Amino acid sequence: MMRLFSRRVYVELWRRSVSGTRTFPTGHVFSPRGFSSGCLLRTDATQPDHGDKIDLDLWKSVMRSQTAADESLGDDREQVKKGDSTDSQSGCVLVATRELVSMWRQAGKLVPDKITDQDVQTLAELSTKSSKKKYLKYLAIREGHKKKDKEKREKKRAEREQSLAECPETENNRPPLKNSFLMQYRDHWLDRLFGWRGAQAMRFGQPLVFDMSYEAHMSPQELANSVSQMLEVESCNRRAHDPFHLHFCNLQPDGGYRQQLVKRYGADAWDRLLITETPRRHVDVFPRERLVYLTADSPNILRTFDPSKVYVVGAMVDRSIQSGLSFANAKRLQLATARLPLDQFLRWEIGAKTLTLDQMIRILLAIKDTGSWEQALAFVPKRKHDGFYPGTQQRDGGSTAGRDRGDRDPRRDPRDRQGSAREPWGAGRGGQDRGVTSKGVGLAWEREYKLPLARIRPTQKSKTEESRRTDKTRTPWHQQD
Amino acid sequence: MGAALLFKARLCLNVLSHKSGIINQGKICARTMCTKGNKPGERKSSPRKTDKTIRQTESFKVRQMPSFPTSVFAAGNAKRTTELLKRKTTLPSLEQEDAAWDQPRRRGFKTDGLVAPERPLSPTEWKKLKEAPCSPERFDVHMMTLLFKTGAELDIAKSLLTFVALDTGTMSYQLLLQYLTLCVKGGHNAEALDCYQIMRGAFPALETGASSLFIKAFSRTQSWREALPILREMKKVISPSPRNYSDIISGALLHGDSATAWQLYDEVMEEGMSPLPDTWRALFEGGARGGEGEEGNFSRAEYGERLLGVLGYMRDNQVYPQQSLADAIKTWFQSLPGHHWRGEWTTVTPKGVCKCCGSELESIQLTPEEYQHLKDRVMADIIQGKDVFHKTTPEELESFKAFVQGKPLFDVVVDGLNVANIVKGRQSEMLLAVVCELEQQGLTALVLGRKHMLRPSVAWDRRNMGLIQKKAHCFFTENTSEDDPFLLYATLHSGNHCRFMSRDLMRDHKACLPDALTRRLFFKWQRGHQLVIHGTVTVGRRVHFQMISPYDTIVQSTGASWHIPYDDSIDRSSYEVPQSWLCLTNKH
Repeated sequence: MMRLFSRRVYVELWRRSVSGTRTFPTGHVFSPRGFSSGCLLRTDATQPDHGDKIDLDLWKSVMRSQTAADESLGDDREQVKKGDSTDSQSGCVLVATRELVSMWRQAGKLVPDKITDQDVQTLAELSTKSSKKKYLKYLAIREGHKKKDKEKREKKRAEREQSLAECPETENNRPPLKNSFLMQYRDHWLDRLFGWRGAQAMRFGQPLVFDMSYEAHMSPQELANSVSQMLEVESCNRRAHDPFHLHFCNLQPDGGYRQQLVKRYGADAWDRLLITETPRRHVDVFPRERLVYLTADSPNILRTFDPSKVYVVGAMVDRSIQSGLSFANAKRLQLATARLPLDQFLRWEIGAKTLTLDQMIRILLAIKDTGSWEQALAFVPKRKHDGFYPGTQQRDGGSTAGRDRGDRDPRRDPRDRQGSAREPWGAGRGGQDRGVTSKGVGLAWEREYKLPLARIRPTQKSKTEESRRTDKTRTPWHQQD
Repeated sequence: MGAALLFKARLCLNVLSHKSGIINQGKICARTMCTKGNKPGERKSSPRKTDKTIRQTESFKVRQMPSFPTSVFAAGNAKRTTELLKRKTTLPSLEQEDAAWDQPRRRGFKTDGLVAPERPLSPTEWKKLKEAPCSPERFDVHMMTLLFKTGAELDIAKSLLTFVALDTGTMSYQLLLQYLTLCVKGGHNAEALDCYQIMRGAFPALETGASSLFIKAFSRTQSWREALPILREMKKVISPSPRNYSDIISGALLHGDSATAWQLYDEVMEEGMSPLPDTWRALFEGGARGGEGEEGNFSRAEYGERLLGVLGYMRDNQVYPQQSLADAIKTWFQSLPGHHWRGEWTTVTPKGVCKCCGSELESIQLTPEEYQHLKDRVMADIIQGKDVFHKTTPEELESFKAFVQGKPLFDVVVDGLNVANIVKGRQSEMLLAVVCELEQQGLTALVLGRKHMLRPSVAWDRRNMGLIQKKAHCFFTENTSEDDPFLLYATLHSGNHCRFMSRDLMRDHKACLPDALTRRLFFKWQRGHQLVIHGTVTVGRRVHFQMISPYDTIVQSTGASWHIPYDDSIDRSSYEVPQSWLCLTNKH
């Protein structure tokens, strides 16, 4: 109250002094006489005079008088604070930390507007100043994202409501049907197609193993990142023409990796996911001679992609590169190893040759589909390298990818025709395939490698792609129903 | 006459070899040529001299070149080399780009449209500036940043504050903090103290930035004690930085309270932080002033004891003082009453004799206990580590151990791939030349390599490899294994006289060691046992090695003298040691 009052007083005084100067007939606004307005103020200020110069220390008296006004309030506040802080030592630290955060906010540092008690606790436990600042920055950025998302959602909702209000009411309270000469292609049809392909991959597709045994080597943050990347891996694979049969090996039932995956997917969706998860090691699931561990530290270069092999990718995110970790594992199990031919195709002299897991599966899907490293390595981020070496096309001959062969001669595999006949185009069939559990289809390696099945007729294919492109906010198929 | 002819022929050869692509690490090469050109006689004689000293101490010899200043461990060597290489490779266009990069980049606040005023302005003028179309949103903060950047006078900032106070009736914490920074930077301590009163009153607490600034400001004034409660307050939330402590310690010493200063110094040590050089400098300068001010202060003797403790800390932690700190140390020693310390800036001969007082420096050889400790740690932490498969396999390690057991003790262990790769394309020739040299000197050598070297190719000639295997013991690891750990194992296992030959500085292996003490031991051992090829290697001619320094570069004392290596330039990399010394002698 007092503060408000005092502020008003000063504003008022300021206005008067300004208007006072303006009424002076001298014309130049900043004449020394103009500043004698400060003298009016200085009568109640404690500062000594500085003669006829601009009163440079006026701000001090302003701030001081504010303080004096606050003091009566401050007494009460202090007592409240004391009551809080006498609880315990830890409580005191938390209060101090919270205070520090609020002051950092005032000092213009990147700090979240609101901070939960749990975050304060985490913050207080961090030992160094820089780690505290980093954590606060992370919280602030996260808060910003959340805020933006919320705004977006609200805007969208407002738009929807507006459009609903604008259009004339129909009898069923539905928006009017759009008139189009194209048959509408519904999202869940596409999902069924994906489900169908996934199920086919689980029965006949090439297995791809993700080795989930690196939990101990990752920080919680890195684990969260790798789980995000695994989600992207799965979704990429699901949308592919010819998906891999994903195996998540070494996935401990009560480990943090599985917990996070289940949490992110939701238990139902996780159960329905068309992948194989197992706590067993990959060497127990597949014969040793078929496994090839893909690791950057390997001395061997993967020149041709072999569809009869089972490739293993270590599902690890290491922000500070832990070189040789997956390679050591492969050596221990005496597995064949290989690395991607990055040096052979890309001008990539500077910077760590690391790839994320989703980049990895995109590369693998592309090499499997096209057999051309040029196309596959297009998924390496452009910012990391200086482009391809010229004339690398001739080098990658002899691709063994299945798709080309299969397209040329679809009659070679009777199941191919069968597969496309059963494809659930619009009919809503094939929905039962979604329920295929991961447990029943684990021994795909026992069969010979079969040509990939899912074929899409060209017209339909372009159409599905179009719908995929236009509708980006589609919910994943497993979250529907 | 003959000598002159020889010399000319050698020069020609040198030029030829240079042209034909045998170019070694730029500077070293250039230096060799230089010594050859100027003093051909000296080059011949000096290695022999050093041979003698080594023979005296260790009963076996490796021909070496005088080490300094070309040794890989000499201060500034790495920087010189990189600069030379950069100059060789950089194109003019790239240089221009570099120049563009060097220009200060604007970060954070945008102050594009703003111009800092030349003199204090009145509120009305400020208002005009603020309402100008180009002024940014948070005018006050941006303007204060600009004032700070341009190093404007304090009065201008004050007038800005006055304007803000009158305009809005209050001031943001950020603005005051920036003003405070300006005050502290300009050394306006009284103003900073005023600011303290105001900010204390206006805000419920201070954050760390303001606290640090206040500590700095208070420590410069009479009321330095005020900084202590601020420090205590900081401790509640974070551990104060060594800089904060350093400020208060120098404040305390400046005002003659050495007891508090040392207490704070002890606190820094207890926290496990390493004190700043400025702290030490303040302590030594305080000692030199001989502040016998207040009650409860240390006596001169006790103070001296503690300063010697600081020197001990430097020795234990391999700290090399900067020039300014070395100055302070020298002044302190010379100020000691009752003694006649004399300090000189000097260097050390390659044999390890101080050029100033003529005394011999400590040897670089480890004591048997230290050696054993290092050997155990290297085996456990570098070779095996957390996962044996990381660098090798258990079977291979066992077979290597058996191999080493079955052979006589080696004199030199050669990192085959590292030595061979000096010249790309003719690796086996290089390796053979080095092995021949070692054989001529009658040394038992072990060459470590990888199995792919045995596959005949242009680089790995079958005949050369056969000769190498005849002349030296050889062990080839799997292609998937690292060879450096084997190198370290074999060298350490063969005893203290055994050296290893590699250009690798082994920093990644040193980093595997868990504690600082072992790392220091490793570094000391490395400096005493690493052979590095000097200059170029030409087939059919003798190979020269950089000399291994026989003395340890570390703070050391014999009671009547102190020798302190110090940094006289800022070019030293962390794995290099300084070449200049402060020699302090006590003459009675």
